[in-house]
Amino acid sequence: MQISSKEVISLIGLTSIIFLIAPLFLILYVLSYNRRKKSHQEETIMLQKNFETELLRTQMEVQEQTLKTVAYDLHDNIGQLLSLTTITLSSINLNDNQNTAEKIALVEDLTLRSIKEVKALSRLLHGEEIVSRGLRAAIEFELEWLKRSDRFKISLQHNNIPFTGDSSVETIIFRLFQEIINNILQHAKATQISITLEGAVDSFKLMIADNGIGFNVDEIINRKAGMGLHNIIKRSTMINGNAAIVSSPEKGTTITITVPYK
Amino acid sequence: MILNNLKIFVTVNTASEFLCFLAALIFLYREKSVAWKLFIPFLLLTCCTELAGIYIREFMAVSNYGIYNVYVLFECGFTSYFFFYLYKSYHYKIKWLYIWVAIFMVMYVTDLLYHDFSRFVSTTASVMSVVFVLASLYFYFLKLKDEHFEPLTFSAPFWWVSGTLFFYFGSTACNNFLDYLALYERITFSRSIRYVIFNILDIILYIFWSYAFICRYRQRKSSPLLG
Repeated sequence: MQISSKEVISLIGLTSIIFLIAPLFLILYVLSYNRRKKSHQEETIMLQKNFETELLRTQMEVQEQTLKTVAYDLHDNIGQLLSLTTITLSSINLNDNQNTAEKIALVEDLTLRSIKEVKALSRLLHGEEIVSRGLRAAIEFELEWLKRSDRFKISLQHNNIPFTGDSSVETIIFRLFQEIINNILQHAKATQISITLEGAVDSFKLMIADNGIGFNVDEIINRKAGMGLHNIIKRSTMINGNAAIVSSPEKGTTITITVPYK
Repeated sequence: MILNNLKIFVTVNTASEFLCFLAALIFLYREKSVAWKLFIPFLLLTCCTELAGIYIREFMAVSNYGIYNVYVLFECGFTSYFFFYLYKSYHYKIKWLYIWVAIFMVMYVTDLLYHDFSRFVSTTASVMSVVFVLASLYFYFLKLKDEHFEPLTFSAPFWWVSGTLFFYFGSTACNNFLDYLALYERITFSRSIRYVIFNILDIILYIFWSYAFICRYRQRKSSPLLG
């Protein structure tokens, strides 16, 4: 069958029309992809802003926690020491030389202990600096205070964590640690707390376990009372990590936070 | 009589080219970028070539392929340079421009010699069209890959490339069957289908380019560093 020149020319014309329509769709595709890129960029900016707001809130919470510790310490330790100093000084009988010497020695000891406490408080007040010295140092420092109460048997295990991520991530992890410890202090009725810091090839792990009364995780999360747990999960997600909460009544609680390095 | 003679020069092609040249003159006159400013002489050359082509055909009654054979050199040189200018910000190496120009020249000379300078270098023009289509697609690819967002609706390079893509992609079928069309279309149809298609392509190309010049003008006005 021979094709006439009319048909061939019509075919060329038709092909040209198709060749004109194809770029049109291509341009429309590029423009719509570009619009999606714009909304993605806006979303990224919003996420970044949310992260910065949350980071600021976290930093404020760390400071608040520090101030609370300072207030408790002033009241429970330094206040007590100074009261004892005042009582001892007022009970001095200048006629009884031996007794006076003993009491002055006691006052001297109380004063030295007060000075030590004030120095420790001063270090604590530099909360920001604590985190800047590294996450492990900050956690160790926090645990030192906890050990003074003698309420808990505390153990800290760590390998040589190569965690050198940015300070904002470390601040958030430190705040997560503080929040979990606060929960244990307030609700767990635990006697033992064990903390594990573990650095792996691609991620960092913080595990906090207690032998307290435990709770039903699903129930607490679904209730409004689970705001603290929601916060832990939300903040872990913000730093691209995740929080695994394992607990059941009378069987203690283990919270594991895993954060990838990048 | 004079008016009738002048009318011959007013075609869809010449009118659209001239209007685009005017747009270039108005919007790119104060342009600091050499690549953009070169549009003014390039479009002026295009208009002159088109008018000279009509004059040779109508008044000297000889074939005008010779003038288009010369024009295709400028067309390829300028379009290739402009594509290079667009790619430059994506760390594109100049050696690729040199390689392409060298290939084009070899092809052009071979085409001329093969046909004893007796017809239009249609094979070279077809290959050139394909290369410019690929260059346009590569530009889109770079834009899609670029994480940085740019409002393309007002992007002068985007609309220039889009016009170029329309023109060279749309003319592929005509270019490939140029000889066939030249031989049969006038016998078969009263009007040249090639002429109609190129009219449509020219209108699209110059509308897109004129809009690109307006975008460039707006961009220059909003960021004085550009010129």
